[in-house]
Amino acid sequence: MALENFHCLRCNHKYKAEFSKKEWPRELTCPKCKSNSVRWLKKRAAKGAGKKDS
Amino acid sequence: MMDVSRHPNIELITYAQVENIAGFIGNFTATIRKKTKYVDEKECTACGDCVKVCPVLVPDEFQQGFSSRRAIYIPFPQAVPSSYLIDMDNCLGTNPIACGKCKPACEKKCIDYDSRDEIITIDVGAVVVATGLKPYDPRPLDEYGYTRYENVITSIEFERLNAAGGPTQGHFIRPSDRKEPGSVGFIQCVGSRSKVRGHGYCSNICCMNTIKDSLLLQEHYPGIETSVFYLDIRAFGKGFEELYRKSREQGTKYIRGLPGEIREHHETNNLVLTVENTTTGKIELHEFDMIVLSVGVEPDKDSDKIKSMLSLSRTPDGFFLESHPRLKPVEVPTRGVFMAGFAEGPKDIKDSVCQAGAAASKVSNLLGAGKVRIEAVTSSIDEDLCTMCGRCVRVCPYNAITKSNKKANILPGIIEAACAGCGACGVECDYGAITMRHFTDAQYYSQVEAVLADKPGEKIVVFACNWCSYAGGDLAGTSRMSYPSSPHLIRTMCSARVNMDFVKHALKLGAPIVVVSGCHFSDCHYIDAVKNTQKRVEKLWDELEDLGIRPERVQLEWISAAEGAKFARVMKELELLRKQVTPKEIEETKRILIEAEKKKRGKKAAKKTVST
Repeated sequence: MALENFHCLRCNHKYKAEFSKKEWPRELTCPKCKSNSVRWLKKRAAKGAGKKDS
Repeated sequence: MMDVSRHPNIELITYAQVENIAGFIGNFTATIRKKTKYVDEKECTACGDCVKVCPVLVPDEFQQGFSSRRAIYIPFPQAVPSSYLIDMDNCLGTNPIACGKCKPACEKKCIDYDSRDEIITIDVGAVVVATGLKPYDPRPLDEYGYTRYENVITSIEFERLNAAGGPTQGHFIRPSDRKEPGSVGFIQCVGSRSKVRGHGYCSNICCMNTIKDSLLLQEHYPGIETSVFYLDIRAFGKGFEELYRKSREQGTKYIRGLPGEIREHHETNNLVLTVENTTTGKIELHEFDMIVLSVGVEPDKDSDKIKSMLSLSRTPDGFFLESHPRLKPVEVPTRGVFMAGFAEGPKDIKDSVCQAGAAASKVSNLLGAGKVRIEAVTSSIDEDLCTMCGRCVRVCPYNAITKSNKKANILPGIIEAACAGCGACGVECDYGAITMRHFTDAQYYSQVEAVLADKPGEKIVVFACNWCSYAGGDLAGTSRMSYPSSPHLIRTMCSARVNMDFVKHALKLGAPIVVVSGCHFSDCHYIDAVKNTQKRVEKLWDELEDLGIRPERVQLEWISAAEGAKFARVMKELELLRKQVTPKEIEETKRILIEAEKKKRGKKAAKKTVST
């Protein structure tokens, strides 16, 4: 289990929680406002990364 | 069991494992591995001559290890059919033959060391899942000293020690010195009602089992001291309260509080437990000759396999989820599959028998009718548009779409009898090849347009699933809970039917906030289709962020049919969010989305030109 960042899109609360990709997707609830609009802030590749300059 | 084996319409297949079940209601095919017993069960007369010569002794699982059995054995006295089998894990070996004493000892020549497992397939119309239970293993609860102290036993072991057919012929003795105990303590809720010390649910049967055990001891051994340590006694069935009262009247002490520690006296092997009596608020020490841990129950370990085989869903506790907890308690979301007993949740014998009867009756109705009536809300595939990518097959929770094969030019097909109409497949199809009857894309776009036709900036578009969120909204209304008038609900059968293009369309038409709402994961009426919703909304959040639109404009919420209050609360919160969205932001969003759509169309057209 790794700790991942989550962001509540209702109350703007940012927090870390245990996360396993095996159990994904699972129901997320913001610990502060109990909303389910919780976004997993996954590490995304930057736009254009990997492309060669022409 | 004898009646079952003799019934002309029942084929009993024992010592077997279901390897796979494929198909749909009325047309299932079960693949079964019939394990070899190495003994011809039709010829074996259970004379026991083979057992007499077998040199191998292993602990008897049925007797909880209190006695031993041979490598050739009958699993338990009432086993049907009553024939021996060889436990090859413990037999000295047949290839090459290391012992081979049982074979010549069998007069009927029933033993065949060369026999192998048999794979059989059976066509069935319906399936009843009755996978039973597994007792909780109390070893992780170190404070109770189970396996460390011989005289600490579980309630299952108590059953064997007290049974006439048990290892002691029903004489209740303590394992350390084989003497009758003078005092016995029972500890309740071992592995139950605590998420950190076992399972969070109540195992349902332990209280009455302990009451029955205490009465048995009082009747068989007058003068024995029995005490029960409990959180609260749950004696809620017919005649249960009377039995509880009788147990108290016969002298069993009921002490409210669960022991924190058990220690063994090194000379007497007696057990001293420390408990906080929550009635008096005092810490007490109690000494017993024996302690019985009233262990809870948990789902069978093989339930994972059954779950994937039959596309079932489970509650967070691990039990299979019924179609509806009150109205369809023996049905599961997969049509033609029913369940009975512990597979659905902890219950006593009476409830299990009732449920089994109900399941049998449902099966009988189904098979007797010979045909099924299905909902009109199903998917259909447009063969001209389908590219055979197979994405729809992967997202279908019911396995209702037959696999496509690009090389062989085989298109996917909808099994209408199996399709439940969640719509997950239609959303997954990028080519618009799948249409949901009665819930088409065009209908949704029209609804969104109708909602946002007038003063769109003052409205919240809510896509609500039929079974939970929409019903939750209904409950909020009928309960007269107040919530703002800005939310406008659009009903979908499942939240997985919500195409993210509908959401973008709403934003493009000026909706400040769009909500996608469905069932909680454990309540999903379409097995686990709701997981698709979460994935898609997450993807949309990323997409919006990349475009420069605040992801907060799209909200996700799981609301059950019983959560009217939650519905009202969420709508109030969303109204506050709506007020934060300025007209300028709405206009900017419209512009961004229209531009993005133009770009996408351009790319598609270019692709088409290149391919032609």
